[in-house]
Amino acid sequence: MYPIIVFSVSGLLMLFLGLSVNKKSLLPYNLLFMLVGLASNFLDWNAPGLYFNGMLEISNPIILVQWVLIFAAILVSGISSRQFDDTHAYPAEYYAIMQFALVGALIMVSFQNLLMLFVGLEILSVGLYVLTGSDKRNLRGNEAAIKYFLMGSFATGIFLFGVAMFYGATGSFDISSGNSVANNLLEGKMFFWLGMVFIFIGLLFKISAAPFHFWTADVYQGAPTVFSAFMATIVKTAVIFALFRLAAYSFNLEYENWSKFLVIIIGLSMVIGNVTAVFQTNFKRVLAFSSISQAGFMLLSLIGLGAQSYGNLGFYSLSYALATISAFGVFLVISSNTIVEGRPSENINVFDGLFSRNPDLAIILLISMLSLAGIPLTSGFWSKFFVLNDAAAKGYFWILILGVLMSAVSLYYYFNPIRASFKKTDLGKIEISSLSKYTLYVCAALTILFGIAPNILRSLF
Amino acid sequence: MHFLEIIKNLSLVQWAFYFLSILTLYGALGTILSKNPIHSVIYLVVTFFSISGIYIMLNAQFLAAVNVIVYAGAIMVLFLFVLMFLNLKEESTEMKTSPMLIAAVSTGLLLGLILIATIRKAEITRVNYNDFDPNTGLIETLGMVLYKNYMLPFELVSVLFLVAMSGAILLGKREKGESHF
Repeated sequence: MYPIIVFSVSGLLMLFLGLSVNKKSLLPYNLLFMLVGLASNFLDWNAPGLYFNGMLEISNPIILVQWVLIFAAILVSGISSRQFDDTHAYPAEYYAIMQFALVGALIMVSFQNLLMLFVGLEILSVGLYVLTGSDKRNLRGNEAAIKYFLMGSFATGIFLFGVAMFYGATGSFDISSGNSVANNLLEGKMFFWLGMVFIFIGLLFKISAAPFHFWTADVYQGAPTVFSAFMATIVKTAVIFALFRLAAYSFNLEYENWSKFLVIIIGLSMVIGNVTAVFQTNFKRVLAFSSISQAGFMLLSLIGLGAQSYGNLGFYSLSYALATISAFGVFLVISSNTIVEGRPSENINVFDGLFSRNPDLAIILLISMLSLAGIPLTSGFWSKFFVLNDAAAKGYFWILILGVLMSAVSLYYYFNPIRASFKKTDLGKIEISSLSKYTLYVCAALTILFGIAPNILRSLF
Repeated sequence: MHFLEIIKNLSLVQWAFYFLSILTLYGALGTILSKNPIHSVIYLVVTFFSISGIYIMLNAQFLAAVNVIVYAGAIMVLFLFVLMFLNLKEESTEMKTSPMLIAAVSTGLLLGLILIATIRKAEITRVNYNDFDPNTGLIETLGMVLYKNYMLPFELVSVLFLVAMSGAILLGKREKGESHF
């Protein structure tokens, strides 16, 4: 609850700081504000309950997820160092909008009322529409922004229609009121079911699950890389936890109905995401399709709804965020060193000879790719293991087999950059700013740490 | 004959409702079918006004007024401004030949079919006229609800507007240099 207040205020302060402070010292301010937000979350610790007339729920697991979100935002800010130095960038606005978007994300993991979910979703989405188009001279960025805006607002409309149906069926926006219609006859449940389906569709669009994924690749490619990383980690985590809250508190008695159609969406996400990623040559598109398949894996914990699945989803979100941010971070450094036709190159061949140009970056890239693919001794292995375990406990064995099969397919495209980085090259060394270097070290170290001892994190939830 | 009997027995409220509904649908169809974009906007204004009429019938006067002021007033003027800036003389013919049109129409019809089939089956709880609170939907009640129960979302909407405003300024700033891929 407190970080929401902190980030609402600090976003405003950031806008004013943009007027008085020079560009390079904005990033330290941004990190300072985010650390204040991270610390302010301590004030809510061990004070579970509903706040503001049943608008927000605070409990220790929710606070941990909020930490994951803020921590991911700190890492994204870390890899953004030196990226906004040129004259066309407006870092004060970027960081301010990032902080406001974080407000939306924090609301989305702790809402108790569907109106709060809507407000949070809109704050997060509107911020991202702007950030996607923030590089105004990039035509691809313009296209991505308008595409994301149109499709995203349409999805929000669908979601809102679902909320209206939910209200019509239950007479309340409170998510726990979903249980009140459970004993109704078939006729009394019609509006509730309509609401459920439309709410699911609206939110599945936002995490780019398979039949609703068409915007993902273009938007990830067009957006500035820092904001692609933001989109891949924070939005996905916030929306999947919003879905989890709805599935666990509103729709849990209808599990038999929605799990059937969700499991098809999961299967489609895994197949489409992984198979299409194999054919991509642009690294940002590869990560976009990989994020589609990861969304499928994340949704598995909704299918395997149980006592442990909240913690498993939190573990998955953090390990996915660490791996994705380090992949984007390494890519950001290299591609801004490889200018082709006036723009940073985004082709996979930018990684050629990375090991001889900067061995540290190559190792970090290796760890992050292994973690995304789910190789043992990285946190990605355990995160996939836990969610598949949950799904198997509910008897969905075929999705387990499909998941393992698709992980095998994903090895192919995750190993492409690794293979490229061990090629011979005569290009010079790559310089990297110390802040992004340490951010990447932290990501890689935590990926290995949680890979060896996953229970450090999991026992907290 | 049965149909005529129904029409004869319609009460005044039902007449008003059917009139407004038909007007709404007429406006909506006109919006998507008219070739001139300016006409589309005018048709949309008709739709908004008749929806406001339906709001009044639902005892939601404040919502009706806001709908007229914000949608029929401000947003439609904005639409007209944009259309006049863009100076769209010829209607775009892209949609007519493409399979997109067929796909869009069939998807929309399918969705409509599912919704109608579901809602026909649904049991709709009706308002009990005897214990209906006539203050429902009035601005006083709305204000009490908004500032008491829904205080937090009401305040957070200001964050949403702030994002939208600072985003619009960010995107609208004058940019030097050329655009490129």
